[in-house]
Amino acid sequence: MTARVVKHKVDWAAFGRGFRVMVPLWAGVVPFAVAYAVTARANGLSVWETCLMSVTVFAGASQFAAAGQFMAGGVPGVASALALVGTTFVLNARHVLYGLSLSRQLPLSRAQRLVAAQFLTDEAYGMVLVAGPRDPGGLSLGFLLGAELSLFAAWNAATLLGALAGAVLPDPDALGVGVIFPLAFLGLLVPLLAGRVAVLVALLSGLGAWGLGQVLPGGLVVLLVGVGGALLGALVSTRAGGRA
Amino acid sequence: MSGWLVILLMWAVTYPARLLGLSLGRLELPPFWLAFLRFVPVSVFAALIVPDVLGSPEWARRVVGAVVGGALLWRTRSLALGILGGFAAYWAARLAGV
Repeated sequence: MTARVVKHKVDWAAFGRGFRVMVPLWAGVVPFAVAYAVTARANGLSVWETCLMSVTVFAGASQFAAAGQFMAGGVPGVASALALVGTTFVLNARHVLYGLSLSRQLPLSRAQRLVAAQFLTDEAYGMVLVAGPRDPGGLSLGFLLGAELSLFAAWNAATLLGALAGAVLPDPDALGVGVIFPLAFLGLLVPLLAGRVAVLVALLSGLGAWGLGQVLPGGLVVLLVGVGGALLGALVSTRAGGRA
Repeated sequence: MSGWLVILLMWAVTYPARLLGLSLGRLELPPFWLAFLRFVPVSVFAALIVPDVLGSPEWARRVVGAVVGGALLWRTRSLALGILGGFAAYWAARLAGV
């Protein structure tokens, strides 16, 4: 890649389309963020600390895990704080894979990467990878940032809401919204199941993750299975002469 | 250790992972690793879905929702229809006492 074809202006129309494509996922994000905020507040984090974590770390599963480990009073000891940071690292290491996979198809300048990296999530990665190429302008920086910031806005608004008013809001379990996330990812997976190798990789990855999930935390499972399943797919498809 | 310091350390181990992947796009990769990256989403999405369905305390209802949602997605390729139909099937199963 020699030509510097990276555009430095954000296409706002594509940004809007990326933003809107994530809106159906808000139904799953909002109750999740509220539940995180309620947990964090109950374990002694202040309103601004609860919100600071959503703005900076911006990773649902590890925020939830961390919120549960803050002691009443909000201040864990040094050893448990470092354990908590280590858990966060392991839970979020899977984002290396998302970035690697996205950057193959969307070359970004250094400044663009610095911004795009802060807002990368499971959901934005999945949606941008699948819906991005079907966008009128193709997979673009505007579409990526729109999708990323759509989730960021919903996550942070709901965190603030939960931190301020959590006790009077309904329990997410009562609404059954926990099923929205697997359904959304199913919607991203189904179009990718073209060919026997892809179906095999999906089946073994899903069952492997279920098994490993009994003994390991979720983010680590996704990382391990993500690497293992993709290795399997690469092995089988390159042996079969490049058919995928 | 104070709360905000722990939070900033959590950020300090999360952001670099996100940046590292995005910064490696210009690597020249052999066919094996290109195939590897093609299968990453398949394997990651499956790993995000199955434990959330089968590992849930209300797994039976979620299986109903996922099967109906999956079938709709397969036939229509419409994300909204898949999510709404799956959610409706989940609620039907829940109200039916599954």
